[in-house]
Amino acid sequence: MLRASVAVESAGVPTVSLVCEGFERQAAATARGLGFDGLALAVLHGHVDSQTYDEMIASVVSTTIDQIVEGLTAESDNDQTGAAEPAALDVAATGSIDEINRIFREHGWSDGLPIVPPTRDRVEAFLLPSGHDPWRVIGPARPSGRDISVWSVAVNGVMAGCRADDLPVLLAVAEVLADPHYGVEHSGNTTGADALIVLNGEIIKDLGFNHGPGALRDGSPANTTIARWLRLFLRNVCGFTAEEHDKATFGNSSRVVLAEDEVALAEIGWSPFCADFGFVSGEDAVTVARMNSGLIVGSVFGSTPRDMIPYLADGLARVTGWDLTHVYGLGQGHYRPLLILSPIIARVFGRAGWSKDDVREALFEHARIPAWKFEKLIGEWSNLTTGRRKLHELAADGLVPKAFAESDDPNRLVPIVTSSDKFLIAVAGDPNRMNAYVMSHDGPHGDWTSKRIDRSYSNDLVCRVEAPSRT
Amino acid sequence: MEPTYDVVWPKSALGVQHRNRAPRLDTLVGKRIGFVWDYLFRGEEIFPAIERELRNRFEGLEVVGYDSFGNIHGPEEHALVAALPAALTRYRVDAVISGNGC
Repeated sequence: MLRASVAVESAGVPTVSLVCEGFERQAAATARGLGFDGLALAVLHGHVDSQTYDEMIASVVSTTIDQIVEGLTAESDNDQTGAAEPAALDVAATGSIDEINRIFREHGWSDGLPIVPPTRDRVEAFLLPSGHDPWRVIGPARPSGRDISVWSVAVNGVMAGCRADDLPVLLAVAEVLADPHYGVEHSGNTTGADALIVLNGEIIKDLGFNHGPGALRDGSPANTTIARWLRLFLRNVCGFTAEEHDKATFGNSSRVVLAEDEVALAEIGWSPFCADFGFVSGEDAVTVARMNSGLIVGSVFGSTPRDMIPYLADGLARVTGWDLTHVYGLGQGHYRPLLILSPIIARVFGRAGWSKDDVREALFEHARIPAWKFEKLIGEWSNLTTGRRKLHELAADGLVPKAFAESDDPNRLVPIVTSSDKFLIAVAGDPNRMNAYVMSHDGPHGDWTSKRIDRSYSNDLVCRVEAPSRT
Repeated sequence: MEPTYDVVWPKSALGVQHRNRAPRLDTLVGKRIGFVWDYLFRGEEIFPAIERELRNRFEGLEVVGYDSFGNIHGPEEHALVAALPAALTRYRVDAVISGNGC
């Protein structure tokens, strides 16, 4: 909404932006990141979703209208360029390790855990083996308006405890963040989804990522520190702190990197996860999305696919709630939940000759909920889809597929995705345990985006790090 | 003696250029106001109330409804936001009320 206001102001037309109480600071920070200090705001008292119609309108008439009029007619001094910031090579702080950690906590530059002090020497040593130009800008960091530079990737990599060998993975994830398709600017939205990095390729073995027992649990340095880097980078470079852009009601900040069990995949004859995004087996790639909720599908029982599909499908249906607004409404057609199978479960499918697409087709038929529940989740229990229209009406208008309108019986079962290929499947975890894990997805607000990991020597950096021309 | 560390800043340079706001209007009398909505948080109830109140206060004020601009928060956000300047010209809009951030 602020992005629309900025586009309008840039066209020479004055705006005022409506925000609920509590969002003023985030709105100001977002506008600043788009180059506009002092964008005019009008505040809606409290949160409109908790008010009666009469309460809400009385507040709009008594207070908000005056702010609208003032915002559109009163000039203000909006030349607020702020205090000068340190340049990249400036010494930002000096002290013992305890003092550095205290300073970083106080400035909101750390996640609360001890960080490795990012001295210039350490950052240069982190960069030198790969030969990258530290001042190359990968893209804009939304919503902060800062640059995603190789240097900033490396500084936060040092802080997180990453190794220099991890830099190509970090740079690939940074490319995801810079890609508009991913939608990093939504990373502070109210439901608090957090990013999951899925890793594929020879790099899993070469750099010692865990794909076996305890997958998704901290403890393996490679999986853990790269995930920590992502949270630090979102905080420091993209600006997702409570003081700026983070309006998450609850966080899900413990998503360590998920590396696939590619040995098991090869034995089964299944392609890796990244193949759904255009890569081939053996290629090093990261795939990233923001996930809302996770759910264990425990102690799966069965020796055939038909035994297992109903339970796995039930897990996918149970983990999916308000996220259905990414099937119809807010994220129209973008909902892509994730099913993670332990290798032994995947082998049952493979032994029966099932491809991943066969599994997806079966999930599409079985992962269903009553139509009345779908309609309430998107337009009554939550209010993210206006109009309270019925699914059969939406299907008649071509807004959802026909599978959602086989009748107008409110008790009929309808899919939770728009087509079977929306289900994503990964294989990881203890190879001999009969468990699966399901995650719901935040649609276009952190949409599945994949990038190749380039481990070749860059040759960009031919001498020691010198100051950039612009920082 | 405990070692000390000289550390660099973990943020990065601002890549955006500071711009000034558009000039404000001298009055809303007789002006055409565009409503731009993200189709969230009860805008279908709030915008009509704003329209009623503004029309009561400012003679000749006209409104271009949010349907004219589309949902600027969904999957089409980038395209619709990019199309806004042309739409403002087409509808001869003098000022915009944009909502809702909640």
